[in-house]
Amino acid sequence: MRLDRDRPDDEIPTSSMADIAFLLIVFFMVTTTFTATRGLDFALPEDDDDPPVVEKEESVLVEIMPNGELIVDQDPMLLHEIIPYLKPKLERNPKKPVIIRPDIATPYKFMVQVYDELRQWEDYGLEQPINISVPTQREIQSFWY
Amino acid sequence: MKLKATIEHKPNIPTASMADIAFLLIIFFMLTITFEVDKTQVTLPKTTLRYEIPKQSAYVSIDPNGRIRVSDGTEQSALVSAADEVLSMAAGVIAMDPQKVFVVKSHGDVDWLKVDEVIDALKRAKVRDVYLLSDQVTVDDL
Repeated sequence: MRLDRDRPDDEIPTSSMADIAFLLIVFFMVTTTFTATRGLDFALPEDDDDPPVVEKEESVLVEIMPNGELIVDQDPMLLHEIIPYLKPKLERNPKKPVIIRPDIATPYKFMVQVYDELRQWEDYGLEQPINISVPTQREIQSFWY
Repeated sequence: MKLKATIEHKPNIPTASMADIAFLLIIFFMLTITFEVDKTQVTLPKTTLRYEIPKQSAYVSIDPNGRIRVSDGTEQSALVSAADEVLSMAAGVIAMDPQKVFVVKSHGDVDWLKVDEVIDALKRAKVRDVYLLSDQVTVDDL
């Protein structure tokens, strides 16, 4: 006599795995936004009520006009001319501060352009980063002379 | 003559590797996903140098109309009425985590005065690391 035995199925049911996986994919696709996650680092100095006094003639002043025009040490200059102008000065004194001073009505993008240019010191054969300073209006009113 | 029985091929799509592909995609999305805490629409300034911003950074955004929004990096950004509120928010964040990185996300055509007020507030709040969010300069921009 032949016995009809019910053998239990020893497989893991995976038929719904793909459904779950695609559900997760759809979730991530819907929630993912490809955004700008890069930028220029801009280390802020300590907010000191009694900052060290820097002689005016020791630093280089880069003024940015509202139309984007640059005035470096009282002379109009193009963006790519700044570092070649600074190079001999920085070779003599690598710590010479370069002060970026945008006009209050200058669009922010022009300040970023100048800051970006000064950060590319290596491309111009300089051996040390440029000592860049961007004083705020409050600091200018408090400490500028 | 004996004829061979015709073998019938049932049409089927091979789906054995589908789950592998699906999980590969899931892993990709899980690794790349970043939940945006600030959705302000701005045209960022363009720079040649761009560095990866640490995740969970706090955000201060300035939209084309000069409105300021702040986020501590965990919650959605909220509108503030003045730069002084940026100072109080930043001081609170720095009190909790002195190493917290702040991101300034500003529209490129906003007046420097507006960004200056924000940066000054961050300075007064003893923030050390700030990133200026930017887009990549392309050949067309040069």
